[in-house]
Amino acid sequence: MMSLNQDIAHATHLSEADLAGYVINATKEVFSTMVMLTLEDSYPLKEPVTSFHCSVTGMVGLAGTYTGILSIHCPRSLALRITSNMLGMDVDEVGEDVNDALGEIANMLGGYVKQILSKGGLDINLSIPTVIAGEDYTVNSMSDSDCVIIPFTNENERFLVGLKLRKET
Amino acid sequence: MGNVLIVDDSSTMRKIISRSLRQAGLQVDDIYEAGDGIEALSAMEGKTIHLILSDINMPNMDGLEFIKSVRAKGVTTPIVMITTEGGEDILKEALTNGASDSIKKPFTPDQLNEKLGGLL
Repeated sequence: MMSLNQDIAHATHLSEADLAGYVINATKEVFSTMVMLTLEDSYPLKEPVTSFHCSVTGMVGLAGTYTGILSIHCPRSLALRITSNMLGMDVDEVGEDVNDALGEIANMLGGYVKQILSKGGLDINLSIPTVIAGEDYTVNSMSDSDCVIIPFTNENERFLVGLKLRKET
Repeated sequence: MGNVLIVDDSSTMRKIISRSLRQAGLQVDDIYEAGDGIEALSAMEGKTIHLILSDINMPNMDGLEFIKSVRAKGVTTPIVMITTEGGEDILKEALTNGASDSIKKPFTPDQLNEKLGGLL
């Protein structure tokens, strides 16, 4: 059973459900304002997801008083639709535009998480986004236990948003 | 009416900002783009820019360093930060160094209009 660790709940005074709720609201807001897509969310996954097939993954790291990774994992077809909507033009292959779009979504979601964890913003740094895409790949950070993964759907296509967090001592 | 320089390392975000400025009904003439602070300083040379919209978290030269460099040159063009960074201390640092205002990503065209209407 996956869950965020107790140190996070204790340090932030937020339950895992609260944090998941923030991620859900942030994702829906980013998609409604920047991607023009309405999302349905589902309950956080109980089992880790490590292997992705024909997908695109955007990730941003948090480092400082908390460390972690915010990631978004999309099937290729949905990544193309997201990018097309963001750019206002048809994009039909995974390349620079898709990488940039998924990276920027991860960046905006990371910004929300950072704001929850750090009121001032100077004690946590956000990394420049990283994007990977491929036929078959594995993301090991998603296999750890201190992680919450939330599935979203739009027009029967599903994608995942994952948050892995650790409180630094 | 005015020329706008958009500084953001995401080409997607530069396009979204550019489109949103038009959708917001703002009176924009030419729009110039740069991927970081260094590119932005080069892009400003020889051009009349009426408003700069800049991200904070960028490679090579970030938004805070960029504002300092612009102000060090004596340029008084309004600079509005458009950023995922919502932290009070970071935004305070941006304002202290010469930023005029900030807009949080994600944003709507209406929010752009509200913040930028008086600057163009």
